[in-house]
Amino acid sequence: MEHHIVLRVVAKMLIPIILLFALYVQFHGEYGPGGGFQAGVIFGSGFILYALIFGLQTTKRVLPAKVVHIMTGLGVLIFAGVGVFGMLRGGNFLEYGVLSADPVAGQHLGIILIELGVGITVTFVMVSLFYSFAGYRQQKLQPSVTGQGDAGGNAP
Amino acid sequence: MTAIGLYNYWIVFFLMMAGLYVVIVSTNLIKKIIGLNIFQTSVFILYLSIGKVAGGTAPILADGFSVYSNPLPHVLILTAIVVGVATTALGLALIVRIHAAYGSVDEEIIYRNEP
Repeated sequence: MEHHIVLRVVAKMLIPIILLFALYVQFHGEYGPGGGFQAGVIFGSGFILYALIFGLQTTKRVLPAKVVHIMTGLGVLIFAGVGVFGMLRGGNFLEYGVLSADPVAGQHLGIILIELGVGITVTFVMVSLFYSFAGYRQQKLQPSVTGQGDAGGNAP
Repeated sequence: MTAIGLYNYWIVFFLMMAGLYVVIVSTNLIKKIIGLNIFQTSVFILYLSIGKVAGGTAPILADGFSVYSNPLPHVLILTAIVVGVATTALGLALIVRIHAAYGSVDEEIIYRNEP
């Protein structure tokens, strides 16, 4: 879709706004409707829109598949790390009050970090799903030249 | 009057039956997944409708509000939406493999090509 100039221009204008709105939803989730799941999907859809307009290869230069896989795990690590850190400070798993000297400040810190972990994981899982579906045809072309039919491994 | 006032349940019925119809009647596997998603959405709306308390606000403590909507169905549905995305991705991945093996996503053709 690289030759559609209207799509290119509109996407270039929209993508920063989409990413900014995702950050708003992410950090507004502490006080109002919002949170990591929604923000992650919006943030991921920004990258997916970029990939749809400018092509998968360009997007993989911006966001390599390796980085996507590492970040997927990093989000889960942040989530679990906050929980285990609360245990190390003498509370229960995911007890935010003990994260800081002041319980209220600890609760603020805890929910922001947890939502950050959720947001990162959801963003990169969405991008990862898109990569694996969008990149399928390109991977498949090589084995189907030699092997007949059942491409994609584990043939008996 | 009550029947019209509870219009969101009518929307739930309509979407649920539309989704079920698409799942049963369509022979195209992609369309089946779309029908399944419509069905899923109707269940989301059903749960969110149950969680709404008349006159209630978002369940966030603030001055001047004492009635809040029930947040539990919302949280359940938040999880269900995420699970729905995962199941849709799994279904589409299976369809991609079926297409690689049979050369079609149409059930009739798949049955015909079955060895």
